Parts: sequence; C-alpha cells; structure tokens
Amino acid sequence: MTPAEQLKDSVLTLAHATQRDDTLTSLRRHAVEQLKVLPFPDKKQEAWKYTGLHALTAGQLNQPATMLQHSAQFPALGDCVIVIGNGFLPAQLPDLPAGLSATTFSSATPSDKSISDEHPDTLFGWLNNASLNDGLLLKTERNQKVAAVVHVVFFNHSDTPCHAANRLQVELAEGSELTLIEHYIGSGPILANALTRIQAGPNSRITHYRLQSEAADTLHIGNLQIDQQRDSYVDSSQLMRGNVLRRNDIHVRLLESGAELSMRGVFIARDQSHIDNHINVEHVAAHCPSNQIYKGIAGEKGRAVFNGRIHIHPYAKGSDASLSNNNMLLSRDAEIDSKPELEIYNDDVKCAHGTTVGQMDAAQLFYLRSRGIDEAKAKRMLGTGFVNETLLAMHDDSVRDWAIDWLGEAL
Amino acid sequence: MLEVRNLHASVDGKDILKGLTLTVKPGEVHAIMGPNGSGKSTLSNVLAGRPGYQITAGDVLYEGKPLAEMETEERARAGIFLAFQYPVEIPGVSNMEFLKASLEAVRSAQGKEPLDAVTLLRRAREACQHVNLDQQFLKRGVNEGFSGGEKKRNEIMQMMLLEPKLALLDETDSGLDIDALQVVAKGVNALRSPERAIVLVTHYQRLLDYIVPDHVHVLADGKIIKSGGKELALELEQKGYGWLTGEEESA
Ligand SMILES: Nc1ncnc2c1ncn2[C@@H]1O[C@H](COP(=O)(O)OP(=O)(O)OP(=O)(O)O)[C@@H](O)[C@H]1O
Ligand SMILES: [Mg+2]
Repeated sequence: MTPAEQLKDSVLTLAHATQRDDTLTSLRRHAVEQLKVLPFPDKKQEAWKYTGLHALTAGQLNQPATMLQHSAQFPALGDCVIVIGNGFLPAQLPDLPAGLSATTFSSATPSDKSISDEHPDTLFGWLNNASLNDGLLLKTERNQKVAAVVHVVFFNHSDTPCHAANRLQVELAEGSELTLIEHYIGSGPILANALTRIQAGPNSRITHYRLQSEAADTLHIGNLQIDQQRDSYVDSSQLMRGNVLRRNDIHVRLLESGAELSMRGVFIARDQSHIDNHINVEHVAAHCPSNQIYKGIAGEKGRAVFNGRIHIHPYAKGSDASLSNNNMLLSRDAEIDSKPELEIYNDDVKCAHGTTVGQMDAAQLFYLRSRGIDEAKAKRMLGTGFVNETLLAMHDDSVRDWAIDWLGEAL
Repeated sequence: MLEVRNLHASVDGKDILKGLTLTVKPGEVHAIMGPNGSGKSTLSNVLAGRPGYQITAGDVLYEGKPLAEMETEERARAGIFLAFQYPVEIPGVSNMEFLKASLEAVRSAQGKEPLDAVTLLRRAREACQHVNLDQQFLKRGVNEGFSGGEKKRNEIMQMMLLEPKLALLDETDSGLDIDALQVVAKGVNALRSPERAIVLVTHYQRLLDYIVPDHVHVLADGKIIKSGGKELALELEQKGYGWLTGEEESA
C-alpha cells in the first residue's frame, strides 16, 4: 500500500469505529461516504508538498480519544470559559454572558440548518465530521454586543496515540459583536483534529484568536473556515509554536460586499518542529478589503511552510487585498518555504503581496551587542521585536501580554 | 588607555587599515579627520568589535588588555562606546527596552546595582531632555523612522546614560544643524573628565570649536599621516587634504 492508501485505510477504520446511534448519526454517515471518494494527502499534491503525514504512523488514527479525567491548566485570558477535553463537551455549559447562547451539536435540533449543512473543505474536516463526538455551537443575538470575552479551551491529552475531533461553530447574527479566544492546549501523542467555522452575519464584528500552545509532542491538524456576509468585520489572530506536526488550513470567503477581513499570525518553529499554514482568502463579492500579515521564525532544525492564496472572483470588483509574510531563520538547518498565490479574475482590484525569508540582521545584532547586551539576549530581543509588531496590533491586552511572554519564551 | 600599534585590518578580505598607530591617554580628546573612504569608520568598527572586521597585524590594547580577545559586548561593558556614523533602525524593539537591557548589562558587569524602574525612567527622561529629544522617542522602536539628526542625538543620549570611559564618535556631527551640533557638543563636554577619553571622527572643523581637541590626526589610506594640535584642523579646513596626500582635493 502507498502511504496515501495506508492513510485512507486508517481514516476509514477510525471513522467506522466512531459510528454510533444518536442525533449526529447522519452527519457522521454522510462524512464517511465522502471519505470513501475523496483524494488523500500525498506529497505529489501541491498542498502537501512540504508536509508529510508520516508522524501519524505512530497510530493516532487507530484510536479515538477517550474522556479525560483530570482538569486543564491554562492562563485566564477571558471572562467566560468553556473547557472541552479530548472533544467531549462538559456535562453542563457555564452561564453565558448576555447576547450569547451555547448549545451542543448533539442537543441542537436536527433541523438546525447550520449543522446539517456542514460541508468541511478539507479531508481532515470530513474526518472531524465522521468521528465527531460532539461540537460546541455559539450564537450571538441580533444587534447585541457580547461584553464578556469568551475563552473556549480545547484540552487534548493522552499518553498513547489517538485522535480527538475538536469542533466549534460560531454564528454571528446581524449587527452583533463578539470577542472569542480558541485556545488549544495539552500534551502527549494525541492528534487534535480541530475544525472551526465562523459565520459572520451582516454588519457583525468578531475579534477572534486562535492560540495553539500544545506541548511539542502533540499533533494538530486544524481547519478554520470563515464566511463573511455584507459589511461584516472579522479580525483574526493565529499564534502558534511548533510541535511534531502542525497543519492549519484557513479558508475565508468574503461572500457579500463590504465584508472586511484583517488576519495576522505568528508561527515559531524551533528544534525539530514543523508548522504548515495554508491560507486561502476568496474575494467572492465586490468592494471587500482583506489584509493579512504573517510572521514566521524557524530555528535549529525547525521547518515552516506558508502558503497564502488570494482568489479574486470575476464579480469581485474593487477588491483590495494584501498579504505579507516575512520570515526569519535563526540557524542554517532551519527552513521556511513561503509562497503567495494570486488568482485574479477581474481588472478592477488592488492587490499587494510579498514574502521574505532572511537571516537575523547582522547590523542590528552588532548594534545591540555594542551596547553591552550579550549575543543570546540580543537575538531574543530581535526575534521578539520581529514578531511584536504583529502582536501589538491585537486588540485585547490580556491576550497580547500573554502572547508576548509565551512567544518570547520560544526565542 | 588605548594603544593602537601598527594596526592592519581588513573587511571582507579587503585591506583597509595599513599600519595605523595611535595612543590615547585618559582625559584626552582626539579628533580624526581624513578623506572619504580612508578608513575612519573601519577603525571605529575594529575598536568596537564588529564581526567581519579582521585585525591582520599589529596590536590594539585597551587598558593594557588586547582588544582582540574581547567579545563585542565585553568591550562595551569595559567602557568602550561607539556612536555610529549610521545608527541602525530596530523596529519592534523600543528605545526604552533597549536602554534598559544595555544599562543592565553594562552596570552589572561594572558591579553596579541595577537601576529600579522609576530611576531608570527618570534618568532616561533627563538624558532625552539633555539632547532635546521628546520623551516619545523612548517609546518608539530603536531609531525607527528617526531623522538623521534624531538618530545622532539618540546616540549621544545612550552615551550619557552609559558613561563610557572611551567614547568613539563616528561623524556624530555630520548632517546636524548648528543647534543640534551644540546639543551634541554639550553632551560630549559633559562627559569629559580626567578618567575618560574621547575620539571624534569628523570632516568638519566646526565641531572642534565646541569640543576643543588635544590632538588632531589625519587618516589617509589606512594610516595616520599627520598629527598635530587643534590648529591642524583649521589648516585642513583651509587647505583640504591634497597637500598631505599629494592628490587632488577630495573632501
Ligand atoms: N564590507 C566592506 N567590504 C569591502 N570594502 C569595504 C567594506 N566596508 C568598507 N569598505 C571600504 O573600506 C574603505 C574605508 O571605509 P570606511 O567606511 O572606513 O571609510 P571612512 O573613512 O569612514 O569614510 P567616510 O568619510 O565616507 O565615512 C572604503 O573604501 C570602503 O569602501
Ligand atoms: Mg565613515
């Protein structure tokens, strides 16, 4: 069997093993049918050219994760905290702030369109559906600003290889506002298969953070899908340190005019870690601005991949899209492959993109050292300075301060 | 304090300094003048320990110790300060954070107590005031978007806080208006003391009206070809370097 066939075999076995009779049965069954016909990741595919899935041969796909007995440790970043352990929702959801409601996928009415319409756009997204234990559904109320910061913690832990489907769905009603932190933590050889969907209704606003701070031995394959309606505003920050395998597929669709997207991210791959971010921003409708700034650092034998695609559709006149990805290498053996892709199907657009991969600046390093600062500290300061610009653009002080320290530790 | 004997140095394999000799004693102010490309900045960089600048022959002793054996940061901690001809911009690292790290490193190497946050901030603000820089500059990225003159004043501010024993000023006066020049001169003069020495690299005699040197040297083609008192600077201003180098006027 080829590696792709082996993968398919494991995925289908896992998907079958997780079938059971409850309200989500049809969602899972449908996904299994999809998995049977979908192409599997393979180094020959452009999207998987730099990222192999050999780490999964340790057996993550052979075993679904089981419910966790112990509780998670994490920094207090938000006001309303919901902890989801190995994909199992808490028996009781906490009290929610005004303007926000939460339900589990399993208790949502079967007719709830948002769930039955689920259509993930990656293979692992379908596996998430096929093996789903349960998901969290957050909905804002029309014209309500949710004052509390919502902190959803996905805690994944296991001492043996296994797979956990983490699932979050956020629906912003017209004119509503929300600040949401998605926070992935945990340790051990568990694969977090994390699928998050955000639907930003007309004129809604969301400040979104996706923080990935699992231990280095944990694996993460994530999929973030954002759909934006008329005049919605999405500000999304994605921060991550490296681990055995980290892959994120982010897909944003600007579906109606006036929708605005601002995304930024920092990824730091040290030691043997691997981080791959594949981002696809689609300008479907006219007059939508999108702005993306990503910064990457790799040290030792760390490896990072960045692929940023901007797709401007024929009717998306007056689109204004920009993407920058600047990267810093801290050692000779580190590698970062960065590739922007533009697909533009009309003339009336403003589009700017740029990527760089460079060493730490020798003149800057000398300047700091000439003032008595030792080399190690000077390097840390320059690394922090390189990413701080991006971190300082984040709105929430608590996340920003935590992130500056947490990412600083990795430099 | 500084003893440079028959120094030969190269940058990226190219020989630039070709037998330079210079002795600086505590309390003295030396001015080094010379045509563009003669090696003035190379000398400053060699003394400060810039990677890539190789001493190929000769000796450099600082307080009796060979400089070549000291890392860049050790030299700074031992009291050597270079005001850069072209100060480097470091976006993302605030001036204040930089000053704090620098002062901590230098003071602790000198066995001094670290400054508490309040004292540090007060001193930094005072230093800003001395060089006519708004306090906002403490919050900005190091030299980020500073004008030429602001960068030079930022260098002097750092010098005032670090109180070096040997200050090397590489064209700190270039591109400054008269007011800024006086600010820089005031900073340098405030540092003058019997224990400290100052080496000024300059193209303009103008600075030497404000900071009167004990010695003036002419550096050409990697060597000091003439030394004298402060009157040499005036003579150079009138006659240029041609009469010394035997070439056409260049500076
Ligand atoms: N990295 C380098 N590689 C090769 N040559 C260099 C390098 N840096 C400097 N040089 C050369 O060394 C010579 C001396 O340069 P230096 O900067 O020391 O001159 P300077 O006297 O300071 O000139 P200026 O008055 O213009 O500041 C010049 O010819 C310069 O081009
Ligand atoms: Mg020079």
